[in-house]
Amino acid sequence: MWRKLSKLDVITSYTILMSLGALLLAPFLLMISIALSSDETTVKMAFTLFPREFQFANFGRVFGPQYALQTFIGNSLVLCLLAVLGQVFVSSLVAYAFARLRAPGRDVLFVILLSTMMIPAEVTMIPQFDIFRRLGWINTLLPLIVPNFFGGAYNIFLMRQFIARIPMDLDEAAQIDGLSYPGIYARIILPLIRPVLVTVAIMTFSWNWGWFMGPLIYINDRARMPLALGVQMLSAVPGGQLPKYNIMMVGSLILIFPLILLYFFGQKYIYQVGIVSSGSSAVK
Amino acid sequence: MKLRAKETLWFYLLVSPWLVGFIGLTLGPMLYSFYLGFTDWDLFNAPRWVGLDNFVRLFTQDRIFGKALLNTFYYAGLSIPLGLTASLAVAWLLNKPLAGMRIFRTLYYIPALVPAVATSLIFQRLLAPNSGLNQLLALVGIQGPAWLLDPLWVKPALVLMSLWGVGGGTVLLLAGMQGVPVEFYEAAAMDGANQTQMFFKITLPMLSPVLFFNLITGLIGAMQTFTQVYIMTGGGPNNASLMIVPYLFDNAFRFYHMGYASAIAWVLFVLILLLTLLVFRSSSAWVYYESEVKR
Repeated sequence: MWRKLSKLDVITSYTILMSLGALLLAPFLLMISIALSSDETTVKMAFTLFPREFQFANFGRVFGPQYALQTFIGNSLVLCLLAVLGQVFVSSLVAYAFARLRAPGRDVLFVILLSTMMIPAEVTMIPQFDIFRRLGWINTLLPLIVPNFFGGAYNIFLMRQFIARIPMDLDEAAQIDGLSYPGIYARIILPLIRPVLVTVAIMTFSWNWGWFMGPLIYINDRARMPLALGVQMLSAVPGGQLPKYNIMMVGSLILIFPLILLYFFGQKYIYQVGIVSSGSSAVK
Repeated sequence: MKLRAKETLWFYLLVSPWLVGFIGLTLGPMLYSFYLGFTDWDLFNAPRWVGLDNFVRLFTQDRIFGKALLNTFYYAGLSIPLGLTASLAVAWLLNKPLAGMRIFRTLYYIPALVPAVATSLIFQRLLAPNSGLNQLLALVGIQGPAWLLDPLWVKPALVLMSLWGVGGGTVLLLAGMQGVPVEFYEAAAMDGANQTQMFFKITLPMLSPVLFFNLITGLIGAMQTFTQVYIMTGGGPNNASLMIVPYLFDNAFRFYHMGYASAIAWVLFVLILLLTLLVFRSSSAWVYYESEVKR
């Protein structure tokens, strides 16, 4: 290291790190405290930052007939896993073509691909809603799933950058051995870009798992809602009543937990890709 | 020749899913939404051409849209600089050669993993007048405002909430900091530079590409703020937290004013485009690339 820290510097650094860390953790603490509160406390809204009650039964109640979070979770899993399948498979195939195959018009198409990243979803939202309505897909997960099977511009870009770093000699050797393009993609490229595949899978899963606006637009039927929308719907209670905040916080914790888990397992891959794609060259 | 043709054929075959999606789900809808911006359409009857009416109404008569626009600028204008500064400070802190830093890095990053829905639900409780934050402020003798219920404080409250995710912005900054060659600091130390000078003369310029990237993504994200507003305030009180996208959403999917909503979408698009362009134009003055020869 280029600098030695003085004792004072070490102490101030730790003090700031701890206090800031405590502040960042406080919302989680309150979330857990509310999730463990009894219904009586919830009605009185007498929540405390540090839990005083430990109603672990709340975590079982959410799977009972009244709240049935398992339905939401099931819908979320269907949405997320299919979205991952579409993005990983299609985006990598398209990325392979952009990285390796020469064709007239390729560079123009790539510029178009990059510029589509600039277009806010709101601009295409209403016509897309019309398309899916005509297809009779309202109140199904299809409008949320199917677009993933056309690939995503950002994912294609990320994967193309990754593939472009693989030595071309490998492709050429495989070609001499008689492998066709799909063969090279499946046997040479795919195994070598595993970090970026995992990264895209995690990003796609996380994004869809937490996605709120899409489900809000397309899904009205409680039984078909993904978890992110379902948890929010728990606040919609008959007039005059207070929402069951303890149940909502249990739902929120269940919404957060898989994402943290996923991050821990995928961390090393994301880091690898992050270094490659965010190293000074791609940020430009 | 034959090989070349085969390669071309394969290229178009492999990119065809994206190409079809681009035409069917992006280009087509964009053109259609542009057309819709000049119509009055309730989704069920045929769109009726109204010329520039929607845009004239947006900018001259619709006070609520004006408010949503200003609120969005207020939010972006405050949350982005604060977020960039905070993430820089946190990254600088997390880059210190101290024991246990891995744990701190993870801890600081976790809030960035929380989906906006959950963040909104918890901050709704945290910012309620008699709980969470105000209890904390009372400890140091400050009587906190009603945050989400106060037209004056609702936007600062949303900005505060955005800062919870500060760890998301530090990831790239940290990687950038670790990528700065040690020789730079050694040379500076030999010339008698102190820590502050090193930060502003070496670290900051070396990080400017990452800051630039974070600025652009932050800008695009802030302009499209939706979930927090929809869940926490519904745009209230008295439209004090209404922003462009929630207003667009209401017009489209609550009132079925699809033409008007399309016009809003295009205003948003052009705004984002202009602001991004502005940042890009300014970048030559403050973004430094190592490989680039300064002219």
